[in-house]
Amino acid sequence: MAFCLSDGLMQVDYDDDEEEFVYSEEEEEYCDSAQPPLGATLMQAQKQADSAAYEEGDDYFLDDDEDEQPTSAIQLERKPWEVDFKAHDLEALQGRQEEMVTDLEPLLAVSRSSTDLLLRSYQWKTETLVEDYLADPDKVLSKTGVHAHPPVPSIESGDEEFACEICYGSGADEQYMGLVCGHRFCTSCYETYLTIKITEGDSWLIPCPAPKCKTLLGEEPTRLILTGNKEMLAKYESNLARSFVKSATTLAWCPAPSCEYAIECLVPRSGMDTTIPIVHCKCGKSFCFGCKVDNHIPAPCSLVKRWQKKCEDDSETSHWIKANTKDCPKCNTVIEKNRGCNHMTCRECHHHFCWVCMGPWSEHGQAYYACNKYNEATEGVNTSVSDARAQLERYMHYFTRYNNHEQSAKFAQNLLEATEANMEQLQRDMSLSWIDVVFLKNAVDVLTDCRAALKWTYVLGYYMVSDNQKVLFENNQSDLEMATEQLTELVEDPGDSSGIEDIKRKVLDMSHYVKSRLDILVTDTYQGLQENRWRFED
Amino acid sequence: MSMVSKRILKEVERLRQDPVPGIVAEPIEDNIRYFSVRMNGPNDSPYADGCFTLELYLPDEYPMQPPKVRFLTKMYHPNIDKLGRICLDILKDKWSPALQIRTVLLSIQALLSAPNPDDPLANDVAEQWKTDEKRAIETAIQWTAMYAERVVPSDAAKRE
Repeated sequence: MAFCLSDGLMQVDYDDDEEEFVYSEEEEEYCDSAQPPLGATLMQAQKQADSAAYEEGDDYFLDDDEDEQPTSAIQLERKPWEVDFKAHDLEALQGRQEEMVTDLEPLLAVSRSSTDLLLRSYQWKTETLVEDYLADPDKVLSKTGVHAHPPVPSIESGDEEFACEICYGSGADEQYMGLVCGHRFCTSCYETYLTIKITEGDSWLIPCPAPKCKTLLGEEPTRLILTGNKEMLAKYESNLARSFVKSATTLAWCPAPSCEYAIECLVPRSGMDTTIPIVHCKCGKSFCFGCKVDNHIPAPCSLVKRWQKKCEDDSETSHWIKANTKDCPKCNTVIEKNRGCNHMTCRECHHHFCWVCMGPWSEHGQAYYACNKYNEATEGVNTSVSDARAQLERYMHYFTRYNNHEQSAKFAQNLLEATEANMEQLQRDMSLSWIDVVFLKNAVDVLTDCRAALKWTYVLGYYMVSDNQKVLFENNQSDLEMATEQLTELVEDPGDSSGIEDIKRKVLDMSHYVKSRLDILVTDTYQGLQENRWRFED
Repeated sequence: MSMVSKRILKEVERLRQDPVPGIVAEPIEDNIRYFSVRMNGPNDSPYADGCFTLELYLPDEYPMQPPKVRFLTKMYHPNIDKLGRICLDILKDKWSPALQIRTVLLSIQALLSAPNPDDPLANDVAEQWKTDEKRAIETAIQWTAMYAERVVPSDAAKRE
């Protein structure tokens, strides 16, 4: 079943009462949310089509032409944190736009192309448009430069009086097109004009070329002029889709380079703190729909953002400087003591002082090892130094582990290659089939998932306030971490190939265990977010 | 792009045959796209006694892209900056390929009579214009006397 293409029809198909009864609950949920609707019917159709897909046991995310992937099996046993989403190609996006125009056309009672232009002018905010239009249709039309029923555009010639204001060509031979505003230009100037506008990136709101004229060129005249210019028409269409995706809060482009799919996800923006809407594009890219960062389960977007900012800016550098250096008491040069006794000589100003009490060395006399006189001012400095040191240590603790898992994830590719070599070796040595050794590759896949999740658990840990909940969280984390390390060891060195059955059993058992640990950790973290169980530092 | 040079040639010809009162625009020697412009200040403005020079360049994409125009004479005006750049909507997003050199120059002349300090390019001048318009106008008259050429009386007569 090809959903992308048949969404328009699906809506009609599922409009009967029975289906509505089944999905009424979900519809309510979306009505309640503060999400500006992309057209209520659109969502309804989407939900219905999606739910129908589940019911029929159909492959939800993949079209028929996709490779066999375990996705469908996973989707049957949905995890609580997983969200509904769908990848749309350009054609499906066009279908979406047309659907919305079709829905609105009878209500506004203007021509189809004008409905389209009005929707574009209102950035597809159907409700605002309807509200404004019903209140004062003339005002909306004149403000947007749309005419209610523009005549079908045509290319004409044979007017002796015609003169193109752009190229100054004139006479009966010139071919021209006129819009409802009365301005006429020759077709070749129109083509140049449109080409420039489309290349610049605007497709949706191109005005008539006449000075100060607000009349918008809709799809019909544009297509008429660009007939035969396939390349420009394709760009025109993709610009239209781009503006559509940009205006719709439920749509986002896949961030993978040169990927042309848009993902639709119905998670309301307001729920981003408690959900982590990870979506998987048809191109293979997984990313968070909320912040467009790579899959960062189980950490919520807000923490990811804070963490990335923290790692980028050099607040930790200044912490390091504070923790490991002191300023010369005379000239304020920053000094790091890396060896030697406490008798310091500043290299800049040659001031002699004591590293411990920061007082001048001359005062120490013979008793320099007993520099224990209490000084409130210095004590104050010391507290702030030890604070900074503690903060730095805390950050380094989490960062080292975060970084370690990130590095390990990068090594996963090497491990995968090594494992594949291992698998071939086993196949040759033991005359086994690929099916018999694929368990190794599956284990590596599990490991990759675990590393990615573990990485982000350290971000959660860094921001989590120390309480009983954090202890539980860290227990789960360490369980998963230990299991992951054990599995890595097993996979990296499966040992003597004589006991292949033994190894296989061990790896399978361990993979299964690791997978269940990962599940527990992610599910619990997610539920904690939902229940507001975790407390994060501000 | 023969159509474009045809248009430019026609525009030049029309400017020569039917010049805009108070404005002279001529292409410079061998470059049909580069114009030297002399513009008289509008009568009802602080620029009335001056004759200002501008340069006008028609980019390759003209008339699909607007011409580039710049004052060469130092100006005291909220919408003209130190480098002579002009803040005018039709030279930017409101450009239409059906506008011409003639209409652009007329719009610039109109901008001299009607400064718009609410959409400033030279912030300090705009500030002055808004807080003490009388003084701003005096400064503009002074600058005109200092930097602009005097309007040739015969030109002035022609203008009226």
